[in-house]
Amino acid sequence: MKSHIRVECENFDVGLEYQRLRLLCHQIGAVVTFTGLVRDFENSESQKVRSDSLSAMDLQHYPGMTEALMTNIAEEAAVRWSLLGVTIIHRVGKLSPNDQIVFVGVASEHRSEAFNAAEFLMDYLKLKATFWKRVMIGDQWHWVSPKSSDEDAMLKWGRH
Amino acid sequence: MVKVLFFGRLGDFSENIELKVNCTEIEATPKKIRSLLSEDNVNLGKQLAAAQVLVAVNKVIVGWDYPINDGDELAFLPPVTGG
Repeated sequence: MKSHIRVECENFDVGLEYQRLRLLCHQIGAVVTFTGLVRDFENSESQKVRSDSLSAMDLQHYPGMTEALMTNIAEEAAVRWSLLGVTIIHRVGKLSPNDQIVFVGVASEHRSEAFNAAEFLMDYLKLKATFWKRVMIGDQWHWVSPKSSDEDAMLKWGRH
Repeated sequence: MVKVLFFGRLGDFSENIELKVNCTEIEATPKKIRSLLSEDNVNLGKQLAAAQVLVAVNKVIVGWDYPINDGDELAFLPPVTGG
């Protein structure tokens, strides 16, 4: 299984990332990709705030530890499903509403492995990888609190 | 010397620091270093004592009683919010 892990400020090109996975080898029968965006509602502190007041997002991470955790996450997925390729890209730094934040792509022989692994990778990434988001509301930065639904999402994958 | 890093909201309460401690003498652990930091900065102390804060030594998650040696990097990690 080939894994490709990146943490970077720059935007990514979903088409290029899809082609990278598609062309890995001739056994590939399915490629599933997921792209996460800066969305129009954000749970800031404990209150729900409207998107039109969210002017920016800033993502911080722990260099070195983050990449190691992302590699572990990809390896964990490859233990659970028969995969041929995994790409995980996470952006950091300043982002605006509608910007791309995260990309997960999985290549496998059959579609069910790719669908399941992509969902698992995203659930695991949200709960384990060392990223922290803050959002600008008005002229104030607010650190984002984790959602209990992210923890719940992990439960379906069993022990972790 | 122990390098101490604060991520996410914890970074609002302290800059990353180089802490001069004799690790062997005090049998340093994340818990002991948290106590030392809390004496100097009560607000930081409160944040570090929150139940969901995790600690990493040299970029690996460890328990609060994990032994810390001179030259180690200790990081305090609030709940992650990536993705």
